[in-house]
Amino acid sequence: MDSSDGTVVRQVLAGDAEAYRILVERYRAQFGRYAVAMMGDADAAADAVQEAFIRAYDGLATCRDPDRFGAWFYRILTNQCHSARARRRDTVDVATVELQGKDRADADVERGELGGRLDAAIERLTPEQREAFLLKYVEERSYDEMAELLGVGADALKMRVHRAREALREMMGGADA
Amino acid sequence: MSDERFDERLKEAARAYARRLPELPASLDDRVMAAVRTRALPASAARGADPARRGRWWRWLVEPQQVRPAWGVALAAAAALAVWLVPRRAAPLAPPATPAVAALPAADTVYVRFELAAPDAHQVALAGTFNGWDDHATAMTRGSTGVWSVTVPLAVGEQRYDFVVDGARWVPDPTAHAQVADGFGGTTSVIVVGPKGVVRT
Repeated sequence: MDSSDGTVVRQVLAGDAEAYRILVERYRAQFGRYAVAMMGDADAAADAVQEAFIRAYDGLATCRDPDRFGAWFYRILTNQCHSARARRRDTVDVATVELQGKDRADADVERGELGGRLDAAIERLTPEQREAFLLKYVEERSYDEMAELLGVGADALKMRVHRAREALREMMGGADA
Repeated sequence: MSDERFDERLKEAARAYARRLPELPASLDDRVMAAVRTRALPASAARGADPARRGRWWRWLVEPQQVRPAWGVALAAAAALAVWLVPRRAAPLAPPATPAVAALPAADTVYVRFELAAPDAHQVALAGTFNGWDDHATAMTRGSTGVWSVTVPLAVGEQRYDFVVDGARWVPDPTAHAQVADGFGGTTSVIVVGPKGVVRT
């Protein structure tokens, strides 16, 4: 059975709301970790992903290219993460909210000192730098792809990645010494 | 460390970092689908509206709007005329529930849940300033107890609305925190939305 994004989107728009679960399962798994990285903790990320899916559902008919639902949803999720982070700044210093509780403790044991320093350095990047950095270095996206996903010019994204890279180099300091 | 070596280290570090991030639980899928089931079909797809028109409607709904005073007068007149043109004698309805604010406000929009207890109704819609008083644009969904509901994104500011029962009866929400005269002997409900939710004062 064809379960491409385009087929599923058309199925939902034809009235089969339950088919939307296929997209939810697909992109929760694919983008969930990205949301955790953007938000700093899993609970906030889950809230952001949930709202992004609801917004995507409400606006599904405006998805111009249903076969590229993933890219469209990614933009909604990114905007949602940015908005949520901005709201949290009212009460919490987001830069200090990183992986917390058990997840954090387990991660500290699992990674070595160097790994811990790298993680801490990545988490201290600005959200925009971390977003660009992860897309470039984890997902290995081209700048053109990143520009389409984020709605930001390729030159600006190159600058963000450059600054992220330099910030990491500085924060890691003598990590390789 | 050379640039090439540093880049390799960064790639390894980034991948390791991503692997250590917790995966969101599958229970999230159930929560999303539970929310989806309470909502109207996306942008009235079932009515076969033109996709481009639906796109404009959605953007209009979620983006901040600036209404020129002259248009405001025209819209108010159009809204009042719409109310005047339909029968105003509504059959008694069970007390409707208070609009409740969902916990998902964005910077310039807030998701607001509207409810109306109308167990005998065959269809209920929400019409107001936020959807151009289109009594077909925002269908409400009937719950098992006869309570009809819908959640819509509202732009920050003052909005006016009515429920439209069975396509004919325009019913103000008696639990709204404000009602204003529609100029034709009836009232229409008012809701004021702030950045953090409904303003109830």
